[in-house]
Formats: sequence, structure tokens, C-alpha cells
Amino acid sequence: MLANKFWQTLSRYSFCCVAFCICLVISFKSLASTQLQSRWQQVESLGKDQSVYFYAWGGDAQINAYIQWAAQQVKTKYNINLVHVKLSDTSEAVSRVLAEKSANNNDRGSVDLIWINGANFATMSEHSLLLKQWANKLPNFSYTDPSNNPAVNFDFGIPTNGMEAPWGQASLTFYYDSLAIDGTANNTLPTTLNQLLSWSAQNPGRFSYPKPPDFLGMSFLKYALVMLHQQSDETLKAQLNQPATAQNTAQVLNPLWDFLNKLHPTLWRDGSHFMQSGAQMRRLIGDTELSIAFTFSAPEVPAAVKRYDLPKSIRSYAMQDGSLSNTHFVAIPYNASHQQSAQLVANFLLSPEAQAQKQKAPIWGDKSVLIQSTLTPQQQALFKTMQPHPSALPLNSIKRTLSEPHPSWVNAIIQGWQTRFGVSQ
Amino acid sequence: MSVVSNKLAASPTLKPHKSADMFSKLVKLSPRFLLALLILPVIGGLISVLLPAFGYAPVLEHTTLGLHGFTMLMQTPGLTHMVMLSVGTGLISTLLAFIITLMILAAFFNSPWLNRIQRLLSPILVIPHAAAAIAVGFLIAPSGMISRLVSPWFSGWELAPNGMFPHDSFGISIILGLTLKELPFLLLMALGVLAQPELGKKLRQQHKVALNLGYCPMTAFFKVILPSLYPLLRLPILAVLAYASASVEMPLILGPNTPPTLAVAIMHWFNDVDLNLRIKASAGALLQLILTGGLLALWLGGEKTIKALFSDLLTNGEREYGGVYWQKITTVLTVFVIGFILLSLIGLIMWSVAGFWRFPAALPDQLTLLHFKSALMQMQNPLFNTLAIGLVTTLFAIIITLLCLESEQLSAKPMSRFTSLIIYLPLLVPSIAFLFGLVWLQQLVNNQAAFFNVVFTHLLFVLPYVFLSLASSYRRLDPRFAHVAASLGATPCKVFLHVKLPQLFAPILIAAALGLAISFGQYLPTLLAGGGRIATITTEAVTLANGASRRTSAVYAIMQMALPLIGFILAWVLPKYFFKSAHR
Repeated sequence: MLANKFWQTLSRYSFCCVAFCICLVISFKSLASTQLQSRWQQVESLGKDQSVYFYAWGGDAQINAYIQWAAQQVKTKYNINLVHVKLSDTSEAVSRVLAEKSANNNDRGSVDLIWINGANFATMSEHSLLLKQWANKLPNFSYTDPSNNPAVNFDFGIPTNGMEAPWGQASLTFYYDSLAIDGTANNTLPTTLNQLLSWSAQNPGRFSYPKPPDFLGMSFLKYALVMLHQQSDETLKAQLNQPATAQNTAQVLNPLWDFLNKLHPTLWRDGSHFMQSGAQMRRLIGDTELSIAFTFSAPEVPAAVKRYDLPKSIRSYAMQDGSLSNTHFVAIPYNASHQQSAQLVANFLLSPEAQAQKQKAPIWGDKSVLIQSTLTPQQQALFKTMQPHPSALPLNSIKRTLSEPHPSWVNAIIQGWQTRFGVSQ
Repeated sequence: MSVVSNKLAASPTLKPHKSADMFSKLVKLSPRFLLALLILPVIGGLISVLLPAFGYAPVLEHTTLGLHGFTMLMQTPGLTHMVMLSVGTGLISTLLAFIITLMILAAFFNSPWLNRIQRLLSPILVIPHAAAAIAVGFLIAPSGMISRLVSPWFSGWELAPNGMFPHDSFGISIILGLTLKELPFLLLMALGVLAQPELGKKLRQQHKVALNLGYCPMTAFFKVILPSLYPLLRLPILAVLAYASASVEMPLILGPNTPPTLAVAIMHWFNDVDLNLRIKASAGALLQLILTGGLLALWLGGEKTIKALFSDLLTNGEREYGGVYWQKITTVLTVFVIGFILLSLIGLIMWSVAGFWRFPAALPDQLTLLHFKSALMQMQNPLFNTLAIGLVTTLFAIIITLLCLESEQLSAKPMSRFTSLIIYLPLLVPSIAFLFGLVWLQQLVNNQAAFFNVVFTHLLFVLPYVFLSLASSYRRLDPRFAHVAASLGATPCKVFLHVKLPQLFAPILIAAALGLAISFGQYLPTLLAGGGRIATITTEAVTLANGASRRTSAVYAIMQMALPLIGFILAWVLPKYFFKSAHR
């Protein structure tokens, strides 16, 4: 009897307890979500009707046009005046924020939003130059499925900690002059790193890469490094995702130097001079000085053909042994003058509407960072594709993606390259 | 400023005494203001580069003074190579430009050809260095115009060959580019000196006397004219030498990069992702300063040596040193220079309207206005900025120059040697050495007003040219007009506004056109001081030269030439309609 009563009381208590806990969890959850909501409402109300200075590389007319389109959109949506500050190198913006920090300008910075990834992000994050914990609170961030999709929370292996909102994905794409590489016995298209070496030996002076620390040149070297380690044992391979140290540097990079020692004598200008940028490489293809080149922004190739900057005989393709791929982001400096407005813009850039527009081949062709399963059918419909240009990269041609090594390898490669090849003998 | 003086001038009867005072005070203060305006930013900028060079950079958590930066610099692979390249290209290009200038002057002195050559070359003066480098690069590249003219019918090249130019490791391409760009400047400077009525007349008479004594025309030039001409050419030559040894645009586009010239390397270090490189960059900037200083000293020393060694030649009575051959060589050289420049201009124009244009074809497959259309669409904002900055800077430069020159006349004391040298300071100190420091200072003082910062920085480069251009005309003004007006009771202010300025209308317009041209062409100062926020035609052109097609670059280069040209045409036409009497 007593025991019965005890159990009744206990079960009543425990019921209450469970109910209370459930209530608590629900209320916390709703509290958290209302908190997020009210946070966003605050961002919206504070961010409207202002200017946002968006520091972004300005070397591609198509990308510039897309940013102009985005500027019109945020103008009508939030009355935000998005100003594209065109950089020829993103590190200019990094230097700028640093100069402001050194001048003790901690809240009136001139950079509001910056297009960034990799080494520049690593530098800014190391020097605490970025606003923290905002990107993961953007309403549209949930479309990237962050819990199942680590790519949006890591930049070259470094956790973003909400300092960067993902914007797009890019892969290393090659293109060639089909009149110069005609497929005859000695002149077939190289589709692996090794074939590239032997092709260049047979066609000396027709291939090269931009001089490090140029971003594209570094990408080629990283592609080579990752490929050269495909057969290495797992412990050595794992070093690529670890920071470069004095101990592991020589071991990891030696295969690369051996490869370059073989490759360089076959390059344009015998490897004694390197071009300055990817754009110069494209111009040299147009001039027929080079026959094969590569880019991280595949849609620039058909766009250049349409503008007559490349001949009609250009074709794009992806290497069969793998394509180096990475995500690029937008970030807000810690001292940005218009932080809320910049968040509104970043959120818009993540919207299905903006991402779908960006993915269209004639607009930009940059791969979306949104995960289709998180979108409604109407939103998914925005991403339908059109017939690509003959010179564009054929759909689904990227067979295998290679992830970027740890950003510290960039410096190790640059330094090693500079001492070995930076001064011609 | 002029509004104030206008008001004051309008009511001279009420407070004649006070208005004269105000104006005179203003005029009296202006030279000091000018000096401060030129010295402070340059010195301040240098100090702000000096501190990090010795390891003081609070942002990077370096606060202990030391030689760390210099150690890093010395360990840079290929540093000697960089230094040699900078010194070699700077010295040889200046020397070549100077010698060719002298040969052209000597061969065509007192001949109508001199004016024709001047007219052909003077448009080159307004082409920004970046645009000129692009044009020259296209000419000498393996796929360039020269190669296309002989391919494939002569050379058999179906694809562009594996060539050597541009980017050759000896810097020959840089020397070629710099020489072609500096030659017109030196020639026009020399012709400007010879156009001074007193001096020009005297020299022409002396030349004639020498001819009558049986001297060959070229010998007569070197023995009679050069000794009087050279001292007036010295500062422009030194400015050219300083610029050539530390310029960025030409070596960036035409030079080698394993390793590049020192100035280019410094710029890369300043812009590098690795912020610690800035300490090395600052040390490098200091080294650049020493190199440029050393080159200037070397030039001055060479001048003294030549004077000591060859002064006897002036009076040895020798009439002829193979003048006929030299005349022929000069003619060939002149034709070569002009042909080279014309061919690159033609190339530039063809690229701006070219459709597909594959290598061996000497002409484009089709012509299109697409590049102009798309460029003009994107150009509105930069165009507005370019004009606004140029106009504000030039207006300010002209006002301060006029006031300084007026003060010289009011006090009846010519400007001191020191002041004349200071006006050249921003041209003699390599800009890469002080601009980064200056921008840091501007950040500290005034961060938001990017437009103001850009105007202020442009002023450093515009002011010297405006001053040089106006000074000779102002000093040449007949003082009797002013004396007569003053004796009739006009205040100094009224004399300045109503007597002097109208007489100077044409020279002021020429100075304005020159100032605008200089301002339009500035790349590094605009980029740094504006923090990249202020886009002008020139910054866009360099970004695009680095990031887009040769066709778009050509359109921008043509725009860069067109703008200053419009300015010069206006300066030439307007005086025909206004202040005609004064012009006569």
C-alpha cells in the first residue's frame, strides 16, 4: 500500500519532472531561436539604408557584373549601397585592415566585407582582424547543411569559427588550344600530371605556371604536391593536412622539387621567367605562345572567347587524376564601419536566389555552396541549367576532387620555390 | 581663396589699406606654406618607413629597435641581382635618353624638323607609363607586331616562337621602355629652355656665329649651346634618373621576375600576405633610397669629371668630328624611335577594336566596337573620380604656385636655391620609399576622407610640374605693367588679378593641362592614399592590365591618352577666344 503510494508519488513526480524538462528544453529551444530571430531583426533594422564597401578581386568582368547585380538586389531589398572595391590582389585589403589596426582605428574601418579564403584568411584570423561568430547565425546559413557539410566551416583545414560565410566553390580547370594540341601521335592532350610532364618535354615552351606567391601558380604547385603523394604511405600523406614544421617540410616537399627540376627546363622561357598572374597566362594562350593553361574560375574561359580574348579553338577539361577544389568565403573585418549591413549582404549572397544566379554558366558559373536537399522545390527549380558554350567545361567532367593541403604549406612552398627557382642562374 | 580676394578687390575704396594687407600677407606666407606642403609629407613618410625598417612596428608586436629588417633583406636570395638590375636599367635608360635628346637637338637645331619631331613626340609625354609599357611589350613580344609582320611568310612561325623579349633577364626591355618614355620629356624640357626669349635668342645667335666660323652644326651645338643649356636641364635629368631607378610600372610589365628590380620586389613585400615581410620591405625602401641617392651622386660626379676632362675640347678650335656621319646616324635613330613609337600606337589602336586576332595575322580578323562599349559602361565612376581629383589638385597647385611667384616679385627677391630644390623633392625621392609611410600617417590623422587624401598625395607630384611650367612665364612678365598700375593707385591684389593674370592666361592653361595630365597618370599614389576606394581610369587600367584582356587594356590606355590630350587642346584653343589682347 505504502509502496504503491510511493510509486504513485514517484511516478507523478517523475512525470512532472520529465514534463518540466521537456518544457524547459522546448522553451530553451524557442528562446534560442527567438533570440536568433530577434538578433537577426536587430541586424536588419540597424543594417538598412547604409553603404557596404565590398573589397573583392576585380580582375574578371563576369564576376564584377555579378557583384553589380547583387548590388542592385540589396539596394531594392534593404536600400544598401554596395560598393565593389576592385582589388588586383586580396592581400591589399588585408594590409589595409592591418594598417588601420596599427593606426588604432578600431571601429571606423574602411573595409566592410571582403572576399577571401586560404592564406589571406589564415593571416587575418591569426592577427585577430576578423569579426567572430556571425556567419553561422545568418538565416540562410542553414541551407548549407553545416552539420553534415564540414566544407562550409573549414577554410583550408582551419575552422572558420563563424568568421566567414561561404560564397562558392571552385576547382582547378585546364584549358587548351585545340589547334595547337591536335591529338596527333606526339601531341595528345595530357590528362594527368605525369602526362603533362612528358607532353611539355615533347612541346617545349608551351606550358608554364604563374610565379608564386600568385594564387593560381600556388594552386598548380599544390595540385602537383597532392598528386605526387598519392602513392606515399598514409603517415606521410597525413602530413599534408598538418602544419608544416621544420621536421616534415623536406620530406613532404622533396618529391615536388624533384618534379619541378624535371619540368622547368621544358617550360615557357625555359623556366627562367614566370608569368605574373593567371590573366597573363590567358593572354599568352591568346597569343599562341602557350598551348595549355589552367584557371580556378572555369567560366572565365567561354566568357573570354565571347569577348574575342581567346581564340574559338579553346576547349576546357578537368584533369583525370583529380581537381584541386576549395570553398571561398566572405568575411567582415573586426573594425568594419557597417557590420550589420555587411551581414545583410552576406546573407543575401547565401540566398538560393543569389546562389542560383551565380551558378548559371553565362553569369559566373561558380558552384553553389547550398545543399539541394535543404531547399524547397521552388528554390531547387532556380538551379536548372542551360546548354553550355563549346569552350566551357562540360558538365560533370570533374571526376575526383582533391582537397587543399594545410595553409602553412603555402609559405613552405613559396620559400622553397624562391630559394630554388626564384633567382635564375 | 580667389573668391575672398575678389570680394576684397571689389571694395578697395572702403578698406584699401586692409585688403592690401590681407593679400600681401597671404602672398608672403605662401612660399613657406609651399615648402611645408612638400617637405612634411615626404619627410614624414620617410620617417614612417624608417621606423619599421629598424624593427619598430607596434602592430606586428615588434617594438625593439634592431637591424632585424636589414638582416632579412640581406638574406634575400638574388638581392645583388635586384640591385644591379635597378641601377643598370635606371642609369642606362637615362643616359640613352639624354644622349639621344642631345643628338636630336644637335642635328636638327635651327631646322624646322625639330618642331615636327617635337610635335610627333609630345603626345608620348601624356601616355602613362603602364600604358606605354603595354604598348612596347606588345611590339617586342614573340607574338608581337614585329614578329607578326615577318610571319609566317619569312620566319615560318605558325605559332608564336619561344622568344626572349620582354622580360629578358638583362632588363633590355625595361631600358627600351624607359628610354622611349623619357626621351620626349627631356626633349621637351630642353626645347622649353631654348624657347625662353632672352636665352634662346642669345644661344641661336652664338650658334650662328659658330657656323660662320666654320664649325660643323653638330660640333657648334656641343661646344656653344650645351654648356649653357645643361645647367638648366640638370634637375629634369636628375628627376628622370631618380624615377627610372625606382619605378614600378615599367619593370612590372616588361622586366624579368626571377628576380625583379628592387622597387618591384619592395612593392611585393609590402603587399604580401605575410605581414612580417613589411619590416623587410621598409628596410628595402631604405636601400632603394640609398641606391637612388647614390645614382644621383654618381651622375653629378660624372658631370664634374666630364667637365674637367673635356673642357679643353671646347676651345681647341676643332671644327668637325665626322659630323656628316653623326648627322646620318641621328636621322636613322630618330626615324627608328619615331617608327617604334608609331608602330606601338598603331598596335594599341588595333587591339582596342580587334575581334579574333590569332598569331601570325598582321591584321585582326574583324573589327568591333564591343571593347569600347563595355569599357565605357564601366568607366563612368572612375572617369568622374579622375576628373574631379585632377581638377581640384590642379586648381590648388596653380593657386599656390601663382601666389609663390607673386611673392617672389613683391619682395623682389628670387627664390632661394634651397626652395627651388625642395620643389623637386617629391620627384627626386623615390615614391616607393615614402608613399607607404605617408599613407600610414594619413591613416593616423584622417582616415575617412579618402578623396582628400588622394588629392593631397597627387598634389605632391602635380605641384612641381605646375611650378616649373609657370615659373618661367611669370618671371618673364614685363614688370612695367605692374609698375604703371601701381603708380595709378591699384592695390597689389588688383594688379595681380586684373593686370598679371590676364596676361598669363595662356601659360596658366598650359600649366593646368600639364597638371591634369600628371594627376591623371598617377597610379601608386591613388591606390595607396585612396585605400583602393577611389578608382580612376589609371588604377582601373593597371588592374585590368593585370587581370583582363589586351583589348580592354588598349581601350583604357587610349582613354588615358585622350583625357590629357583634350586638356592640351583646350589650353591651346581657349586663349584664342579669351584675353586675345593679352595673348598677342
